[in-house]
Amino acid sequence: MKCLIPGPNVKVLGRTIHALARFGDELYLESSPEAILLRTLNASESAYAMVKFNKVFFSYFNYNYFSAKDQEGLKCKISMKSALHAFKSPTHMDKQVENLEIRLDAESCKLIFIIKCKHGIVKTHFVSILDCKAMQAVYTKDLVHNRITSSQKILSEALGNFQSSDDQVNIEVNTESLILRNYVDSSMDLSKVIRTQISIKSAEFDTYVIGRETVITFTIKEFRALLAFAEALNLPLQLHFEVTGKPVVFIVHNNTTFEAHFVLATTKSDTPTQTSASQNSTITDRKRKEMGFNSNSVRKKPNLDVDVSKCLDEDSHLFDYIEMPIDIINAQNNDCSNKDISQSIIQENVDCDNIPPSPTSKMKIKTIFKRCFESTFDPRSIRGSVLAENSDSE
Amino acid sequence: MDSGKTLCSLLKAIQFQESAVFCAMQEGLKLTVEEGKCVQASAYIPADNFNEYHVRDDVDVLFKISIAVLTECLNIFGSAEESSLKMYYRCEGSPLLLVLQAQSFSNVMTDCEIATQTADTLLELRDEDAEEESKLVLKAPAFLGLLADLERSCDIIEINLSPEHPNLSIVTYGMQDRSCIEIPKSSDMVQSFTCERAVTLKYQLYHIRLIMKALAVSNKVVLRCSSNGLLLLQLKLEKEDQRQMFSEFYIVPLLDD
Repeated sequence: MKCLIPGPNVKVLGRTIHALARFGDELYLESSPEAILLRTLNASESAYAMVKFNKVFFSYFNYNYFSAKDQEGLKCKISMKSALHAFKSPTHMDKQVENLEIRLDAESCKLIFIIKCKHGIVKTHFVSILDCKAMQAVYTKDLVHNRITSSQKILSEALGNFQSSDDQVNIEVNTESLILRNYVDSSMDLSKVIRTQISIKSAEFDTYVIGRETVITFTIKEFRALLAFAEALNLPLQLHFEVTGKPVVFIVHNNTTFEAHFVLATTKSDTPTQTSASQNSTITDRKRKEMGFNSNSVRKKPNLDVDVSKCLDEDSHLFDYIEMPIDIINAQNNDCSNKDISQSIIQENVDCDNIPPSPTSKMKIKTIFKRCFESTFDPRSIRGSVLAENSDSE
Repeated sequence: MDSGKTLCSLLKAIQFQESAVFCAMQEGLKLTVEEGKCVQASAYIPADNFNEYHVRDDVDVLFKISIAVLTECLNIFGSAEESSLKMYYRCEGSPLLLVLQAQSFSNVMTDCEIATQTADTLLELRDEDAEEESKLVLKAPAFLGLLADLERSCDIIEINLSPEHPNLSIVTYGMQDRSCIEIPKSSDMVQSFTCERAVTLKYQLYHIRLIMKALAVSNKVVLRCSSNGLLLLQLKLEKEDQRQMFSEFYIVPLLDD
């Protein structure tokens, strides 16, 4: 195999390698007459990534350089560390690099990266081949019910609100909106975790097709990596998924030159009898009761118009009074239709209807909240009789 | 001296040992540190950097001083503040006296007294018999960029110099991989290149990395290889007032095994 990549595309390849490095420790390379494929799989085999670079990505492309008879292209596995070393700093790579040549040296069993930089400097990396196997994951992306196309910005902005200690994210989809939550294991100490929930309305996405409402849970680390990749290349992200337990596929592509698939395993919820949605919302509420004021770190309400912010303020007074965290901004979003993106992405909402009716403690919360959500409720009516003083911070 | 700032950044560049040997000669000041008998680094401040410079020529002015304390004293008004500097030293055993005066506010003076010790003997690495084999002048920022790109996990760096193309190549060996950087003499970063005969020299990458701090504050670097493999790097730092300060690194090669 021998191929030559022009300067601007080297940056794309560098970004790709860096994104793949967040997935797995080994990099599988495969060449075909039409394209080069890079794949990786993580150690626990729960995340897989495949990036396909079409012929037009390269300025010269020959998939089997050494023998014309051999119809099989290259198949090899190299260590991710060596690959990363060749693409050390993708951010300023495009300024220095003129072109990159990737060549397989059949005699020494080395993959050679030759980087021609400005000032006539040539950097050559001889990378050992670890194995000659190819690897492929089996997944479907075309025959799925749920498809969402999103600009990379919305999701990465939403993900920015999560704590760095969160390791799994939970996405609940219905026909109106998508709700992102950090997944809290039932074994965790609920008084020590911060729950984050972000609801994004369907109108924010470029396409939003939900065939079957579902809840999926997957790791946040790889999700962050692939979002960073999409953002660096400024390309939208497609989500294809079915139900929980089946993998979710993220696709980033630039029509003609390359296509990247990131496949993440989704976990089944711990207790099959309860849907994870209701399970999570009960945790949310119980948690909020315990945490008191501690969890207001995720509140964000940028440029809300006066009306809405007033309502929100009044709501938070209400909640203060019954010792609830001030970050609970209730679901006013039904009324405000034409809000801009930044407003509607980030909303904490407490959806009382989600709470399963059985345990009594939750019922109590429901009755406390009930009044607030009735359409006849006017927050100003209770203004006159403040039952408890505002907290000092207000 | 009008400003102790450049002196301070130069001293910080060679600050990989606790104390340095301070030597005042007629030509200028020289501070030297050594790393495990393999690397000798010096900062050299020619006398013309000072407005006034007097050194007794009948005795050696030579003592050991803590380099960390010295840089801290030079920086006493904070790194943003320019301050004029006066240095006094009486005789062996007496402390080094620094008088610093901030430029932006008058009437503030600092007197520092730094205790000194008797100097250790320094290695005499330069061998008069070994002749210089090759010499090249590189731009310091570009050379720094190349060194920064080298794999940190490698132990050994191999420098090949040859009169043929490619004239300079730097090879590092990793766990399974080999990386090679080739620089022809026509490259922009090479300002002059003299090499009579091809040489291959091996050094500890760690030793080479010690010069990176000094490269970051310098403009130009001169690499000299002598026939015994000793590598001498001379780095030139040019100040705004056209006066120059230098740092020098002698690096001992690895022997073939």
